[in-house]
Formats: sequence, structure tokens, C-alpha cells
Amino acid sequence: MVQYPLKINDKIYFINSEPDKPLLWVLRDNLKLYGTKYGCGIGQCGACTVHLDGMPMRSCCLPIDSVGDKSITTIEGLSQQSNHPIQIAWEEEDVPQCGYCQAGQIMSAAALLERIPNPSDKQIERAMKGNICRCGTYSRIQNAIKSAAKKINGFYDDE
Amino acid sequence: MDFMMMNRRDFLRVGSKIGGGLMVSICLPVYGKFISPNQTVTANIEFNKFISIDTNGEITIMLTKHEMGQGTGTAIPTIIADELDADWSKIKIEQAFYNPKYTWLEMGTTGGSGSIARTWDAVRTAGATTKALLKQAAANKWGVDPMVLEVNNNNVTNRITNQTFCFGELAEEAAKIPIPESIVLKKPKEYIYVGRSVKNRITKDVVSGNMRYGIDMNVPGMVYASIERCPVYGGAIKNYDDTEVRKMEGVIDVFPIAIPQKIKDSLHSIIGYVYDGIVIVATSTWIAIKARKQLKVEWDGGENANRNIVSLNEDMAALKDSPAFMSMDLGDVEPCFQNPENKILEMEYNTPYQTHAVMEPLNATAHFQDDVCEIWVGIQDPEKTINNVSKALEISEEKVKIHVLKSGGSFGRRYAADTSIEAAFISKKIGKPVKLTWTREDEIRNDHCQPYLKNYMTAAITPDKSVAAIENQAICTINYAVWSTKWDHYYAFPNIRCYRSKVSTLLQYGAWRSVGEHSAALSKECFVDELAHYLEKDPLDYRLELLSHEVDWGDPKEMSQATIERMLPRKRILRQRQIEVLSYIKAKELWSKETLDTGGKGLAMMCFGDTVCAEIAEVTMEGELGYSVNKITAVVHCGMVINPHFGRGQIEGSIIWALSAIKYGGVEIENGAIQRSNFHDNKVLRMDELPEIEIIFMESEERPSGLGEPGTPPLAPAVLNAIFDACGKRIRKIPVTKRDLVESMDSIS
Repeated sequence: MVQYPLKINDKIYFINSEPDKPLLWVLRDNLKLYGTKYGCGIGQCGACTVHLDGMPMRSCCLPIDSVGDKSITTIEGLSQQSNHPIQIAWEEEDVPQCGYCQAGQIMSAAALLERIPNPSDKQIERAMKGNICRCGTYSRIQNAIKSAAKKINGFYDDE
Repeated sequence: MDFMMMNRRDFLRVGSKIGGGLMVSICLPVYGKFISPNQTVTANIEFNKFISIDTNGEITIMLTKHEMGQGTGTAIPTIIADELDADWSKIKIEQAFYNPKYTWLEMGTTGGSGSIARTWDAVRTAGATTKALLKQAAANKWGVDPMVLEVNNNNVTNRITNQTFCFGELAEEAAKIPIPESIVLKKPKEYIYVGRSVKNRITKDVVSGNMRYGIDMNVPGMVYASIERCPVYGGAIKNYDDTEVRKMEGVIDVFPIAIPQKIKDSLHSIIGYVYDGIVIVATSTWIAIKARKQLKVEWDGGENANRNIVSLNEDMAALKDSPAFMSMDLGDVEPCFQNPENKILEMEYNTPYQTHAVMEPLNATAHFQDDVCEIWVGIQDPEKTINNVSKALEISEEKVKIHVLKSGGSFGRRYAADTSIEAAFISKKIGKPVKLTWTREDEIRNDHCQPYLKNYMTAAITPDKSVAAIENQAICTINYAVWSTKWDHYYAFPNIRCYRSKVSTLLQYGAWRSVGEHSAALSKECFVDELAHYLEKDPLDYRLELLSHEVDWGDPKEMSQATIERMLPRKRILRQRQIEVLSYIKAKELWSKETLDTGGKGLAMMCFGDTVCAEIAEVTMEGELGYSVNKITAVVHCGMVINPHFGRGQIEGSIIWALSAIKYGGVEIENGAIQRSNFHDNKVLRMDELPEIEIIFMESEERPSGLGEPGTPPLAPAVLNAIFDACGKRIRKIPVTKRDLVESMDSIS
């Protein structure tokens, strides 16, 4: 067991953990931050996506030992009052069916807009194809991303 | 429906809410055990608090269904709110934990695309009755006739004086009024919420990360478990060595789970099956999962360990000419097949085992203490789960309490009680609350798969090119219900005979989105397309021609007259809807091929419950797999659509579900064990593979008939028929691989 200081959603936590424990299980089992979901454990489905210094990462295969002093953001910390433009767009488009994959989808989408404020259809597909949704809400996710982009930029320019 | 025969007094009751207010109780005598019209149902019904209204006007509706992404957790309350003329923002929805008093004869089952269809009458009546009570309460207070009152947005208004009471002010008075003799239900054009895309109640919590599923359960003091299960269905533990596991920090206990054969025999063969395995209990899920790698287990796979897909196929093919159960025998097929003038066409269709890969891995949390077992789980059939847990643990059903939590997709997999039995067993053994989590690998390898079906379809065609008779022989790894509409033929061929037989299964099976309809649709709708092509007829026109008269049930031989009388009205509704759907496609020129530059189009149609769904697939022969599905148009007749946004979502989701099975479905099996393990080898559709999807609902004021599954069955045959249209190759199975397309396959032209 090693003690790790982790900066999660702007708070510092001291976690006693095995070095190889993935961040996902630290969040869920140690900290009871249940918003980040377990889906596959091998980085294939994206349900566990969090931000590491703003970059989308699959927390299921990210050992706690490799986090270092990077700042972690989970769905619970994406915005103060669930009012990130992506979250607002998600509500307006009423995207979820079962909702289980959606925290991961939202984290991937928020990171995409951070990087490319006005993504094309192809850029959306490329950024989001790592996130599986078994209910099949893909077209609603696409619509929500475009509508959030529009909110951020004042327009959405589909090439 | 039988429900309508009952007096409202039999299933509704009114009372005071603790702390003041109105409480309307309901029992839903809808599903499962039918009530005969002349049966009285007043005995021993324990009433609940289905709808309650606070003195501040807040309305609480108990949800008796399991919310798993299908949206009924929002849709059913909107139906009630509509009949009640309530303010939607004043509605609170609370999940009822499983208790027969909330479901009574309805069993608390969620599935079969039936949540709304089966509760439609009961919940509307409950809403309208509650409104009538509030109206009467206002009439009493003002001393006027209820006729002069109108109800609107949580208020009752006196049309003459313009005075208003809000529901909260009337709740206590309403609680003293007996259930009225008669009530008036709304007409479709009066609906305020039904037919509109009311926002899903779970969305806010999902978006903020606060939505809690079964896997998020946290009971104080709980420990965590993972199970290494036998990879072969029916297999057992031969021996195991846990020495290294026990040395690991954080491991609390290791022990086998193997339900004795005598108890196993008493459990439900599908819902109650639990794989033998080794349980690891640890201080965290991660350690429990990690510790499994240090476990040395030798399994005795039993008979299934010597089988694989090739041998299963041989077992099935061997049954082709063996005596089988005859499920349908209309007219006289023999002379048609014996007539040497007739051409005989025989085709073999295969729909393989399918995995679920539900997004939320399976789980259950249990706490066994003082002889009582409490379970927290997202589950579709709490009643059978309680029954099976109680048998497995040898305690009475009253000692098993189930909290139904939301789940991240069920698609039939969460009918099974296996996770609940396992968690209960572990908690009883260690005397602590425990959360059991299946890994994704567990979920794929120990799935309860869609059964395998091989279907031989045969037609006798006269020299002047008309179909004289058809016969089909369905060979399956499951014994589908003896009488089941999915095996009937809805097309009116002059002579029809159907056989069914079962081969012992290689994998555990269960329900999978659209169950047998998915398999049946592929063989039936591909075959009718092949016939149309052979007869040189347009596939849509040929279907309409076959539907132009009813199937003649005059001499059904194997079926009792009572059975026929019961099923005929339903068959007539379905035939009417099939004709309407196909006629719509024709009238709107959705089937016209003029719009297509390259590639092909395919059509298929199937019924699920009373819903009819036809789909048109457009494909081109390009891309990684050798084909690409570019557009799907679905035309759906499901009666009224309660929430169009949810409805479109269900059909879209069903199409995507089916498309995953076409592109990547089936399972590879070696030595009886599933060879897939996770999303890298059990692929499912991703966003960059999404076809254009257009969905049209037929306008209707008929009662709603369900939408969760009907979009799935027509998709595979529509795509296979489109591939034939595009390249002239008949593929008679799914998944469709590149190899299938390269290998030369004869068409029947």
C-alpha cells in the first residue's frame, strides 16, 4: 500500500492503494464517486472516461501510480451545477435511454469541444467512436454535440 | 382485455395519506395469470399507495416497472398525469420495491415490450378516478354540481364563479369520498402529455453523474466479490488451488459456489441457472478481480466440453428428417410436395447464439442477516427472482426482499436471477453485506444467449408459378412455447405445415431483445423474398397479394377451436396493420428503387406483440466487411405513440442492436466455451458505423402495443434481401462476413 495524493474535481484526496489499482476503482470503491462507470476494464467502451489535465482518459486502465500530480476531472466535477454547455445540450436533446454510458460520452464530448470548438461530422465520429452505447443513442449524441458547439461559438458550421 | 371486465372497485381504493392528503391504491390485474370475466377479485388484495397527493399538491406516483432505458419510468406517469390533468412539474416518481401488493397479478415483470400495453387500462383508470375524486371534493366544498367544474393543471375551477382550488387543498376532502360509480376517460384529442415528447425524468441525474444503478449500490460495511465461473454450461468444479489467492493483501475469503443438484433441479431452468464457480471476497472490487488471476481451477465441462458450433450444427441437421412436433398443419401439403410437376425449393436459414453485452455489467448486492435476505439489483423479473433465491438458499419467499434498482440496459439478460442468487449465497456464507460485480469478460463468457435456430423452409411451386404449399422445420436449442405466433405463417399460402424440434443446448440461453421473433423473421422474410424473386414479382406487391385474404384456419388439426377463437381477433388486427404499413410504403414510394444510384434495397416486415414494423434497408457493396448498410427506413404501426422521442429512440436502438448482430454477432465456441470475452472481439456498432435512420409511425388512435423490441426482427432479413438486390448473392445467415460474400452462393433464380 502506498499513499497517493490525488487532485480530483479541485479537491485533494489522500488515497492508500496498491500502485496498480486503476483510477476507476479508486474513484468508485475508495471515494464512492459512482458517476464514473465500469464498462469493460480494457479501454474499449469509454464508459469510464475522465479528464486528466483536460485530456480524455480511460480510467479503467490508468493505474493510480501513473496519475502523478495531474488534475483529474470526473462527471461530478465537469461543471458547478451540471451546466457545462455539453450537459445543457444533453438535457435539451434528451439524449439518454438507460444513461449508463452517458457520463463517458459527455466527458469525451466535452474534451472534444475543448480541443475543436467547431468539430465536423467526421471529427465528432473520430472523437466519439471509442464510446459505446448499447441503447443506440448515437444520433442524439451527435445532435447534442453540434448544438453545444453552436452555443459555445454562436454558430455550428458543418463542413 | 380481461381487466375491463372488472369493476373499478375491485382494484382501486381510496384512503388518507399519513400526514394528510389523498391516497389512491391500485392493483394491476393485467399480466400473467389471467382473470376470467366472471371471476370476482375482491379476496385478500392488499392495497398500496399507487397515487398519493399531499396537502401541498405534490403528487407521488409509484413506479412498478423496472426502468432500464426503455423510458416507461417516465411514460407511464405521463399517462396518469394526463388523465389526472396534473401539473407535470408537481409529479414525483418513486420506485416501488418489489412487493406483490404493487403488482398483484401483474407480477412486476418488465419485458416483452409490454409495460405500457399491459398497464394502459389500469393506470389511465387510476388517473381518471383520482381526478373524479378531487372534482367531487371541490363540488362538496362549494356545494355545487361537479358538472360546472373543470380540472386543469393541478387545479379545479368553478366555471360559473371562477373560484379555484388547487389539488392540495382538496386532497383531504377527496380522501373521504368513495370510488365513483363511473368515470370518463379522455379521448385521444384531449391528451395534454400523451403523444408529446415529455423529457425523460432520468436525464438530469444522468447528465450530472448522480444517476444510481445497481452497480453503484453501497451498503455500509459491505465487502466486494468476484467469481471465477465454469466456462462451460452444465460444467462443474473438478478441483482448485487458492493458496496464492489467500496470500494476497485484501482477500477476505475464497470458497466454491456449487448449488447441489437437488436444489438446481428445483430452480427455473432459464432464470435460475447459476454457473459453478469459485468466489473471491475482498476489500475492493479491484482486488477481487485481480486475485482471480492467481486462482488455479480445473473444470469438468461435462458433455458440452466436447461440443462446438460445428458439432451443434451437425446435431441440428441430423434432426431434420426425424419426427418433430407439428405446430401448424393447414390444408394438405403432401400432394403438393409429391406432385412431380411442382418445383421444390428448400432453403436453410441460421440465426446463431447472440450475446447481450449490456452496458452496465451484471451485479447484485445482498445482505443476509437474521434469516432475512435483502437484495439490491436491477432486475426484470423480481417475482421469479425471489422464488429462485428462496429455493437456492432454502428460506421462505417472505424472507427475501428485493429492491429494484435502475439498470444500464437489460435487453432480456436481467430476467435471470443468477446474480441475485450468487450475491445472496455469498452474503449468507460470510455474514456480511456484499456487492458482487461481474466483469465484462464474465458477462460475455457466461451469458444467457439468444438461442440458436436453424430453420428449413420449403415451398412447392406449380408449373404456372404459384406457391402451392410451404413447410418449415424449425430446429432450435430451446423449446419455444408449444403455441406461439412467431412460428405461424401470417401469409396466406394455400397449404402450410410447420414442424419444430429441439436439440440439447450448448450454451445457457435466455431472452434477447425481440427473442424468437428475431430468428423467425430472418427465415420467413428472406424466404418470402426468395419466392417473390422466383415468381418474378415485386417483393412488396407479393406480400400484399399474400395478405389479400386471411390464412384459412378452417382445418387446423393440431389446434383446438378455443385456441383459434382466442387468437383470431389478434391475427386480424395484425393483418390489418401489415396491410396498412405496406400500403403506406407503396403510396409514399419508399420502396421505389429509382432513388438508388448503386447498391440494393431490401424489405422485410415482422410483428411483435400487436406492433407491426416494416423496414427497408439500403446497402452498397463496399467497406471493410464487403458491404455497407447506408440507410434504414422503418414504418411502424404500434397504435398510439405515448412519447414520440422515446418511441423513435426505441426503434433506432432496436435497429442498431440488430445491425450489431448482423455485422459482428454470433459466438465462436471451442470445447463448449465461448471464445469471446470483451468489446474487442465481441464487437458492437459504434458511432462511425451509424446508418441514416428514418422512422415513420402510422397515425393511430388505437391502444398502444409496445415499442421496445419490434424494430429488431425485420432488420436482418431487410439487409440480407438488400445484399441480394445489390449483388445477386443470397446469404441465409447472420453475421454476414466478408467470407460469406466472397464464397459463391447460388441464388434460386
